[in-house]
Amino acid sequence: MKKKLTIALAGNANVGKSVIFNQLTGLHQHIGNWPGKTVEKAEGTLHFKGYEIDVIDLPGIYSLSTFSLEEIISREYIAFEKPDLVINVVDASVLERNLFFTLQLVELETPLVIALNQIDMAQKKGIKIDHEKLSEILGVPVVPTIAIRGYGIYDLLKTAVETIEKKTANPSRIRYGKEIEERIEKIASLLEEKNLPYPPRWTAIKLLEGDEKIREEVKKIDPKILNLAQELAREIEEIHGHSCSTVITSERYEAAGRIAREVQKIQPISKRPLSQRLHDLTTNKVLGYPIMFSVVLLIFYGIFTFGDYTSTYIGDFLYGFEPLFDQIIRDHILKEIVWNGVIEAVIAGVTIALPYIVPFYFILYILEDSGYLSRVAFLMDIVMHKIGLHGKAFIPVMLAYGCNVPACLGCRIMETERERLLASFVVTLIPCAATTVVVLGLVGKFVGIEWAILLYAIDLVIIFLLGRIAFKSLPGEPAELIMEMHEYRIPHLRTVVNQTWFRLEEFIKIAFPLMILSSVIIKAIELFGLFDPLSALMTPITVGWLGLRREMGIALIFGILRKELTLIMLATILGTTNFRIALSPLQMFVFSLVTMLYIPCIATIAACIKELGWKKAIFITVFEVLFALLVGGVAYRIFGFFGLQ
Amino acid sequence: MAVPLTSLKAGESGVISSIRTNPADRRGKGWGFLKRLVDMGLTPGTKITVIKSAPFGGPVEIYVRGSRLALGRGMATRIFVEIDK
Repeated sequence: MKKKLTIALAGNANVGKSVIFNQLTGLHQHIGNWPGKTVEKAEGTLHFKGYEIDVIDLPGIYSLSTFSLEEIISREYIAFEKPDLVINVVDASVLERNLFFTLQLVELETPLVIALNQIDMAQKKGIKIDHEKLSEILGVPVVPTIAIRGYGIYDLLKTAVETIEKKTANPSRIRYGKEIEERIEKIASLLEEKNLPYPPRWTAIKLLEGDEKIREEVKKIDPKILNLAQELAREIEEIHGHSCSTVITSERYEAAGRIAREVQKIQPISKRPLSQRLHDLTTNKVLGYPIMFSVVLLIFYGIFTFGDYTSTYIGDFLYGFEPLFDQIIRDHILKEIVWNGVIEAVIAGVTIALPYIVPFYFILYILEDSGYLSRVAFLMDIVMHKIGLHGKAFIPVMLAYGCNVPACLGCRIMETERERLLASFVVTLIPCAATTVVVLGLVGKFVGIEWAILLYAIDLVIIFLLGRIAFKSLPGEPAELIMEMHEYRIPHLRTVVNQTWFRLEEFIKIAFPLMILSSVIIKAIELFGLFDPLSALMTPITVGWLGLRREMGIALIFGILRKELTLIMLATILGTTNFRIALSPLQMFVFSLVTMLYIPCIATIAACIKELGWKKAIFITVFEVLFALLVGGVAYRIFGFFGLQ
Repeated sequence: MAVPLTSLKAGESGVISSIRTNPADRRGKGWGFLKRLVDMGLTPGTKITVIKSAPFGGPVEIYVRGSRLALGRGMATRIFVEIDK
C-alpha cells in the first residue's frame, strides 16, 4: 500500500505554474471544474520515493482576498482540505509582487516550499537572487527552477517530500506595526478556542481587513468578536488615515519589498532584452494596431484555410461509410434515425471540432502563454469599454467570430461573475463562422456584398446597444482592467498541447450529447410528417411578421443544431441552390438577419448552461429568439419601405 | 500637490498619495475596486512610473514594484500621485 500525499501548486498568474504542473504529472492529469464552480481545477498524480502524490494546480491569483472566485477557491482549498504541502511558484523576475502572495500563504500557516521559477528571465533583466538567503529569511525551503527546461524540477519534488517527511517547515511570519500587532493578538486570542477552519491569527487579520466571507463565518460563531474587530479596525484607521485593509496590505507589501531588496542584486544591463523591445513594438501607439490586426487576420485566415481543407477531407472520409451502413441496416426508419440523426450529428461535430476548434485553441494558448494576449487586451481595452467590458473580453469576442462555443467557455478569464455574464451575452450575439457562411452564401452572393456588410454593421450596432443596456442594468460593480503584462517568453509546447487536448475533450463532452439529441428529435419530427403542421403553426410569424416564405420556418428550426444548416435546409426545401429564383432579396436579407441573432446554436447553449447555469442560459436564449424576431420584422418593414424588394 | 495619475506624461513618476473612490459611483460601491488596486501593490506611498498610455483614452501602462501593469483609464484618474521632482 502506497502512502498518499497531496501537494497544491499556488502562485500568481503567468509564473509558469502550469508548466511545473505538467513537468510533475506528465500525462497523468485530469482537468475539471471545482465542484459547483466555473473555475478550472487541474489535478494529476505522480509516484515518487514510494509515495503516490496527488498534485492540485490552484488558479493563478495575486492575493487571498475575496475579489474573484479564484481567490476564494484557493484559500478555502488550502484551509479546508489541508494539503500536505503547498508549492508556491514564484516568478524570480518579479520577486516583490510574488512575495506579497507568499507572505499570505505563510499567514495561512500551511507547510510551504518555494519554487523560484524563471531565474533565467530574471537574469536577462539583470536580477540575481540569493535563494539561500531568501530561504533563511522566510524559514521556507527555496528551490531555483527553470520550468520550461525542466531545470530544478527533481530537486523541487525531493525538497517537497523531505519537507513533508520532516515536518520541518516553520515559516517565519511578518510582523506588522505595533499598533496592529496588539489588535491582531487581541482578536486572535478570542478566536483561539472557536475551532475555525482557518488559523486564528489569519482570521484576526482578515477581520481587520473587513473580509466579507470571514466576517460572516465569525458572526455565526460569536458576533461579539466581530464587533470588537470593527472597533479595533476603526482605531487603526484613525491612527493611519487610511482604511485598515489598505494599511495592512501596505505593510505586507513593504515587507515583501524589504525581503526582495535584501535577496536580490540588480545589475544594470547594457542592452534592452528582446522581450522588452518586443513589448514596446507590440504596444506601440502607431504600430501596435496594424500588428494586432495582421496577427488576428493571419490566424483566422490560417485556421479557416486549414479547417476548410481538413473538414472536407474528414467529412468525405466519414460519409464514405454510408453505403456500408445502408447494407447493414435495411429498415428505412431505423436508418434515418441512426444515420441521419445520430451519426450525421457526430460527423458534423467531428468536422467542426478537429479542423477548427483544435487549431483555434492551440494558437490561442500559444498567444496566451507567450504573453501576446495581454498586449492585445491592453490595445483593445478602450473598444471593449464601449460595450461595458474591459480589454480582456476582446479575447472571447475574437474567438466568437470563429465559434461561439469556445468563446463562451473563454469568458472565464473575466474576473467577476458580473463580467462573465455580460461577456457571454455579448459573445452569443456575434456571428460565428457558420453564420458567416449563411450571410455570405445568401445575401452576399444573391443580393450584393454591400448588403452583407450592412448586416454586419447592424449586428455591431445591436451588440453595442444591447451590451450597453445589459451593462447598465446588471447589478454590481463594473470591473476595470487591472492586468499584469508579464515578460514575453517562449511558450512551453507540451503544456500548450495538454491544454488544447483538455479543451477538445471539454468541447466534446459539452456539445456532442445535445447535438446528437436535438438532431434525433428533429429527424423524428420529420419522420412523423410534422414539418408541414409546424410550418403552418409558424406562419403568422414567418409569413405574417417577417415576410418570409412559409417553408423557411423549417430551415430556421434546423439552424438551432448548427447555423449553416439553415442554408443547407433552405436549398433542400426550395429544391434549388439558386436562391434568386425562389426568394426575393428582402426575404434573403431578413432571413439572414434573423439567423444571425435568433438563437445561439445548441452547442453554444450547452456551453452557456455550463458557464452560467440553466436559468441565465435559458433567459439569454429566449431573449435572443424574441429579439431576433422583433428586429427581423422591423427590418422587413423598414427595408421594404426603402425599396429592397 | 497631488494630481491624477493620468496627468503624468510618459516616463514621469510619482508617489501615490491617495486613491479616491467615488461614493456616487454606481450604487456607492468602490470597495472591491480599491481592494483590488491595493492588492496589486498600489498602496499609498508607492512609487509609480507611467510608461505610456494607449491611444483614444485607453488604459495606462505603469511600472510599479518591479512589474508592468495595465490600468483602465477610469481607475487611473482616481489614483492621485505627488510628482517626483
